[in-house]
Amino acid sequence: MTNRPSAIRQFAVLFVKDLRQESHTRDMLTSMGLYSLLVLVIFGAALSQSTIKSNIIQISGGLVWAMLVFTSLLGLNRSFAAEKEDAGLDGILLIPLDRSVIYLAKTASNLVFLLIVEVLACPLFYFFFLADYPLTTSLWLVVPPLFFVSLGIAGVGTLLATITSGTRGKDVLLAILFIPVIFPLLFAVVSATSVAVMGSEQLLSVYVPALALAAGYDVIMISLSWLLYGFVVTN
Amino acid sequence: MRQKQNSLPPDSLSAAIIATSLTKSFGVRKALDDVSFTLPRFGFLSVFGPNGAGKSTLLRILATLARPSQGSAHVLGHDIQEQTESLRRYIGVISHRSMLYPDLTAAENLMLYAKLYGVVDPAQRVKELLDLVELTGRRHDTVKSFSRGMTQRIAIARALVNDPELLFLDEPYSGLDPRAVEIFDQLIERVRPGKSFFMVSHDLTRGFDSATHVMVLSQGRLVFYEEKPAIDRDLFSSLYRELVGVALA
Repeated sequence: MTNRPSAIRQFAVLFVKDLRQESHTRDMLTSMGLYSLLVLVIFGAALSQSTIKSNIIQISGGLVWAMLVFTSLLGLNRSFAAEKEDAGLDGILLIPLDRSVIYLAKTASNLVFLLIVEVLACPLFYFFFLADYPLTTSLWLVVPPLFFVSLGIAGVGTLLATITSGTRGKDVLLAILFIPVIFPLLFAVVSATSVAVMGSEQLLSVYVPALALAAGYDVIMISLSWLLYGFVVTN
Repeated sequence: MRQKQNSLPPDSLSAAIIATSLTKSFGVRKALDDVSFTLPRFGFLSVFGPNGAGKSTLLRILATLARPSQGSAHVLGHDIQEQTESLRRYIGVISHRSMLYPDLTAAENLMLYAKLYGVVDPAQRVKELLDLVELTGRRHDTVKSFSRGMTQRIAIARALVNDPELLFLDEPYSGLDPRAVEIFDQLIERVRPGKSFFMVSHDLTRGFDSATHVMVLSQGRLVFYEEKPAIDRDLFSSLYRELVGVALA
């Protein structure tokens, strides 16, 4: 005998499924963590000859986001590899549940994994590149852009990874689709992160509009992805 | 309670499947072309055809995993396009792919499905199903540690979580050794009473013997559909060769 559970209950079951799967394998967190560490090492080597230290502070916002965007691409591909490995997603699609619940649960789990990696990678980034410089009082302001961009990456990335997961060249195709779509968000958060790290006088005039742009992007793109998800998984 | 019963075609309540002019196009190619048939309730339909004939496409459309480009179908009295969610409560699919999460244990996989379907006592249902497929002792092992045959048994349990009235079987014998095939057949026979079946198969022996109805698809078109008592296996085999141009396994 079955009684259809609420959408919130189904969301929770799917979200816990992703966390449980990751707790068994630690595939995503390990690969994303190692990848971001390797990117830091490469950045370290590339910037080791720079004699103008202020340049590093100025470009640090861009470096952080280059690391996190490529790390998130790796994570998104892995999260759908598990869904496609033995057609698990098809099994879920056979259940009477709204497709948007699947989308929201997958976005939430991808967001959690991305935030965990950021919590580990961003302090490492600081120690690699910024530890020699005095902390600005505005450094804590990097947290809101980190959250907004993670939300946007998880939301848009989940839709795009679903589209590309069934294709032959999914790794490349996801990057080709994902980076242009995410560009406005990246543009906004790179400037917000840079002024937060530098503690520039332009803090309010640059930071606030950039954060508003990021928040607006998230609202529009996640709503669109949520609406389109049913069409994408059925067609 | 089924919805919109008053808008159903006349045979909907006595038929498991009524398909009318189902067509599926991918660009200019028609994977399924104007397929119409009726399968009575408690019938067992075996669908044969060479690779690319449209068998799995037909199954995916009827199981609500894909939409037809044209045509319509009622499955267990539900319109597959208008009453998709209510229909999903009454169907199950067993494929050559298990639809399980290999990194979760057998019990975790079944519990996941039981909770998503809203089974009233999910723990009890999972226990019953593990007993049915005789894998209670392996319930805490991850599915990736199972043999192909054991994985297929858990896939049967998964498909039965919601006690479906119609089971879709998509090449279920693929990759199974003879002993696993035997166990699979025994399990299907055990759950067969009161259910209808739609099976896509390459295996004439298995597919034909279980069936009450047989269908042949070729290049997306339905070229043969008959109730089985009207035809025996040898006659069907030669007819298939004539219709499709190749022999069945």
